[in-house]
Amino acid sequence: MGFLVLRITSPFEKGDGGGFLKERKNALKLETRDFGQVEIDETRVITMPAGMPGFPGLGRFIILEREETRPFLWYQCVDDPGLAFVIINPNLFRPDYLVDLGAALRDMSWRDDKEEDLLVYVIVNASEGVPEKITANLIGPIVINTSKKEAAQLVITGSPYSHKQLVFQSS
Amino acid sequence: MLVLTRKVDECINIGDDVVIKVIGIDGMQVKLGIDAPGNVRVLRREVYEKIRDENIRSAKGNTSAFAKAVELFKEQEHTPK
Repeated sequence: MGFLVLRITSPFEKGDGGGFLKERKNALKLETRDFGQVEIDETRVITMPAGMPGFPGLGRFIILEREETRPFLWYQCVDDPGLAFVIINPNLFRPDYLVDLGAALRDMSWRDDKEEDLLVYVIVNASEGVPEKITANLIGPIVINTSKKEAAQLVITGSPYSHKQLVFQSS
Repeated sequence: MLVLTRKVDECINIGDDVVIKVIGIDGMQVKLGIDAPGNVRVLRREVYEKIRDENIRSAKGNTSAFAKAVELFKEQEHTPK
């Protein structure tokens, strides 16, 4: 993969969307699955106390954003360079998609935090290699608590949502 | 596998923080109540497996589809609804 302008974004800063890494103070060199070595701000690392099903013991992630792959974001594991997910804001293709954030706050012991502190992303599956077959897992969203810098993969049961929702509806 | 016998309203502790209580029994169905801290994921096994398997499939690095997918998104943005 050639030269890439890598934008390290943080959901924790408003305004410029995180921007490029300006301060070197907290800089951390990180090997990534798809972008080689990048420099990240370690204050932007997100911890998942319960990890993700299928990947026990791997609980630290960072969001990487590239201009040319927006609106897709990379959810890169900090503990294992070989592990990364592609995530997206579900409302970009399912404006009606809703997660019960009140329940998430309760279940995650995030009782002090507000729903406005939470960001919801869904994991994208592009294993078929063609855009028309890209699906998103709507029953296992990743909810990020921006004030605690924690995240959890919620599991939404008893909902009409699919774990293999096509991102691009054929028209 | 540890096998324990419990009556309705009796509990099992797992570690210090996880409590499983038998709420009721109806024929072949057992209703359980589970108290666990937020960092312990409690799921029906088949749901857990579905999420786990989809996570594993999604983590397989196949980024070839994204360049065109980004284009599709841009087209949709310019298409009047």
